[in-house]
Amino acid sequence: MAKINKIFSNILRLLAVAATVVAIVFMVTSHDSAQVLNLTFTAKYSYTPAFKFFVVGEAIAGGYTVISILLSFKTLFWRIIVFLDMVATVLLASSISAALAIAQVGKKGSAHAGWLPVCGQVPHFCDRVTVALLAGFAAAVIYFVILLCSLYAVL
Amino acid sequence: MGLQNEEKLELGCSSSQPRSKKWVLLTVRVIAFLATATATLVMALNKETKTLVVAMVGSTPIKVTLTAKFQHTPAFVFFVIANAMASFHNLMMIMVELFGQKLDYKGLRLAMIAILDMTTVALISGGASAATFMAEVGKNGNSHARWNKICDKFETFCDRGGVAIIASSAGLLLMLIITAMSIFKLLNKPKSVSS
Repeated sequence: MAKINKIFSNILRLLAVAATVVAIVFMVTSHDSAQVLNLTFTAKYSYTPAFKFFVVGEAIAGGYTVISILLSFKTLFWRIIVFLDMVATVLLASSISAALAIAQVGKKGSAHAGWLPVCGQVPHFCDRVTVALLAGFAAAVIYFVILLCSLYAVL
Repeated sequence: MGLQNEEKLELGCSSSQPRSKKWVLLTVRVIAFLATATATLVMALNKETKTLVVAMVGSTPIKVTLTAKFQHTPAFVFFVIANAMASFHNLMMIMVELFGQKLDYKGLRLAMIAILDMTTVALISGGASAATFMAEVGKNGNSHARWNKICDKFETFCDRGGVAIIASSAGLLLMLIITAMSIFKLLNKPKSVSS
């Protein structure tokens, strides 16, 4: 049972690494520019601190997952892994949450604050960011299941 | 961080260890409940109305009344809901700890408490970070997207929002400690000699 749990957990960790890599790649390579009435309107992920935090958070979680896959072949670390998995889950949850909040304002705008939606001018940027956010959300959900598996392994 | 403190507590205490740890956990839960409840209330009652002069027609100014409410921003709505759910969870856990010592389900009580604590931590962290970054955009604006800052006009709204976010972050830190303690309790549960 413990062996099946470990194999299942490692498969999930590989999926989580893949999801975080997809999220980072799509977020970093998303930039678009548009000409609106003689003004050049560029959109890059680094213009928003929330997207920068998203990339950093996913990178840290992805790096930790790779290390934990490599360390899972030694059985000493199972207790520490539970706490570190929890930290990684919290990090992923807050990264995706922050990026979603700003992306929602970018797509719909905020009529009360006088902020116009941005997606009309830079659709390519918005599409790539959407894919990155979906991958980030998948990573967060997968990580929660990984956390449950780790907890079950030390019960 | 919490792990180091817990290990020191484990090594230092002797026979009265379970009772003092129970009271420590309960106290931290009460403080976390107060923190998240404060965050919920302060953000939920966050509203500011301001009358601004938009233009002058001759000598009569045209005034526009603008309101800043937390409902205008989905991130703040999520923040309020997440903190409300977290305070409810803490309240339930305090009640179960004080009055429901016999409540158990196939010996899974500690595991369920730990899992629910972990879900609540993820929820609070999501709410706090979404609200933080929305508040950052409101405070500094975003010149690339042509979004103007609003905190210079609605100072009270921004101040109260800041207080709520700080309270929620304190609640998040305390919930992390509580979750670490719950998981520790689960790991060190005496293995009962049962079927």
